[in-house]
Amino acid sequence: MRSGTSRFRLSAFGGSGMLAVCGLLLVAATGCGRTSPASFRLNMVEATKQRLTSAQEQQVATILLAMFGTPDEPVCIPEAGLDEAKLRLAAGPVRSDIAGRKNGLYREHCGHCHGVTGDGLGPTAAFLNPYPRDYRPGVFKFKSTERADKPTHDDLVRILHNGIVGTSMPSFALLSDLEIDALAEYVKYLSIRGETEIELMRAFFELDEEDVGKLPETREFLVGEMLTSVAEKWQAAADAVIAVPEMPGDIDLVASIAKGKELFYGDKANCVKCHGVTGLGDGQANDYDDWNKVIVQWSQEVAGDQDAAWVARASHVLAGDALRPRTIPPRNLRQGLYRGGRRPLDLYYRIHAGINGAPMPAAAGTVAPEDIWHIVNYIRSLPYDLDGELGADRPMIAKGD
Amino acid sequence: MIDAFRSAVTAVAWCLLCSVAAAEEWGTLKGRFVYSGNAPAPVELKTDKDVEVCGKHKLVNEELMVAADKGVANVVVFVRDKSVKVHPEAAAAAKSTKVVLDNKDCRFEPHVAFVQAGQSLLVKNSDPVGHNSNIATLKNSPSNNLIPAGGEATLTFKAAEAIPAQVTCNIHPWMKAWLVVRDNPYAAVSGPDGSFEIAHLPVGELELQLWHEKAGYIGEITVGGKAEKTAKGRKKVKVAAAGTDLGELVLDASLFSK
Repeated sequence: MRSGTSRFRLSAFGGSGMLAVCGLLLVAATGCGRTSPASFRLNMVEATKQRLTSAQEQQVATILLAMFGTPDEPVCIPEAGLDEAKLRLAAGPVRSDIAGRKNGLYREHCGHCHGVTGDGLGPTAAFLNPYPRDYRPGVFKFKSTERADKPTHDDLVRILHNGIVGTSMPSFALLSDLEIDALAEYVKYLSIRGETEIELMRAFFELDEEDVGKLPETREFLVGEMLTSVAEKWQAAADAVIAVPEMPGDIDLVASIAKGKELFYGDKANCVKCHGVTGLGDGQANDYDDWNKVIVQWSQEVAGDQDAAWVARASHVLAGDALRPRTIPPRNLRQGLYRGGRRPLDLYYRIHAGINGAPMPAAAGTVAPEDIWHIVNYIRSLPYDLDGELGADRPMIAKGD
Repeated sequence: MIDAFRSAVTAVAWCLLCSVAAAEEWGTLKGRFVYSGNAPAPVELKTDKDVEVCGKHKLVNEELMVAADKGVANVVVFVRDKSVKVHPEAAAAAKSTKVVLDNKDCRFEPHVAFVQAGQSLLVKNSDPVGHNSNIATLKNSPSNNLIPAGGEATLTFKAAEAIPAQVTCNIHPWMKAWLVVRDNPYAAVSGPDGSFEIAHLPVGELELQLWHEKAGYIGEITVGGKAEKTAKGRKKVKVAAAGTDLGELVLDASLFSK
């Protein structure tokens, strides 16, 4: 049985509780006359998965507060490599500064879906399909870099500018470049914070007995190891952009589409296995993306555990801090809607690197660059292939068989 | 001044000598994991993709493989100590050999592979159908490469993983394997009869870590009829120059309920 104080503390960080210890501190600092300040939610799924004690959860919250500040007062230590002026424009409650400039952009435009913490658990999240992105694992799908690499700043700006077609993510093209730039920086901030949090929670497992279950609170460990290992990957993104050879200018489009079709159905690129013989996305369709897979696998683990008290606690976390898992359908290629962008270059990136966090594998190394271009051309032809391949020789596969 | 220099040189020479002289006794550690209770028979898998190729292999769920003599296969044993001394032969072996993870008969071979940081992992495909190998490492960059029939990919890993990484094939969702990544040569995976052996270990006390995909880090083992808590799968052992045999390490059925 937990003690009274630890139960209070748990509800302060987990589930529906919004008021955290750092929030209380801010109330003291800012006085009355304001609604309770926003606070970051602790990653309760990871904390419970790692079986952290209340004291260990508290330590992570305290470290994160010192490293990253609060949603109203972001802190930026140099190793994070973030621009604090941009963060200040995006952070905090919605308001105007003395020059009439809008502040609090994240909460105005993003927080209701992506959550104040960037955990993809905003109030609207459960009603959206697909769910809004949880930034905390630091995984992003639509980008110009190799599969496991972070997106560049420009990749995030492009998504903010264009939105994501076929999802609930709208275009923010009406915002100024300065504002979009600030929001992209803030997404990086939430992601670096979230990934550092996961690193910290996992680090408890590696402690030796004499550490008495406490992470070393030294700059060398917290910044030098934990934060730097996350932030470095973001700083390396600009150098990890995929080198794309230009599509040959004199390419015969009809021949290229035919070649692309052959590759699509062939064993090497093997697109057909998931996107289906019809291209309708009706091949392998009972897979999960990485965000949902974490919840599916952990739920199974919880269900089989012998420790009833821990199962009750974990079930509570699953109910309050996770959305019901959904499978990820492979893209229907006959609609002409491409989430990561419709430029031929965007499709090239998707095929070359695969889609990080999704089942889509990387073709690079297996499929030659010019062949990737042929597949791009074939895919771009599919929405206009009205009566061809859905005919007798490639019968449409009924869903739900 | 010169004297000081000379004595410093002597001291250094001494140190070099003693480190060679103190060298290095090595021993082999072995043991055997045994299941206590009635092991469930492995369940046959539903192979509903590429049926003409994969359907002809009677594939079973390999999460928990217990032999007729109760040996538990695929238990991972590795040395936890970060600063463990490494036998020169063991170090050299890692540089010159590749670890192979094959997509064969619509399953991964082996089911649990061990690769060292810096060592090459060759992922290949001996099947007539295409696969992909989705390797969910946490410390190292995860990867998901297409591996067409007869194709291959060579991967290397920079750092040790605290927990074995899951390997899956998104085309054939029943396919699952595990990859153990450590930064020293001292790891083993128990064979079909439950036995394991780690050679060339430095003599003295070491801390092992024990893991199984169904049990996670193994929290309790019974040795010689005595139950022993092994929090986070950690177990201290003494390695003797003549070799150390841990004997039968009994794992209770309740460990594998996850």
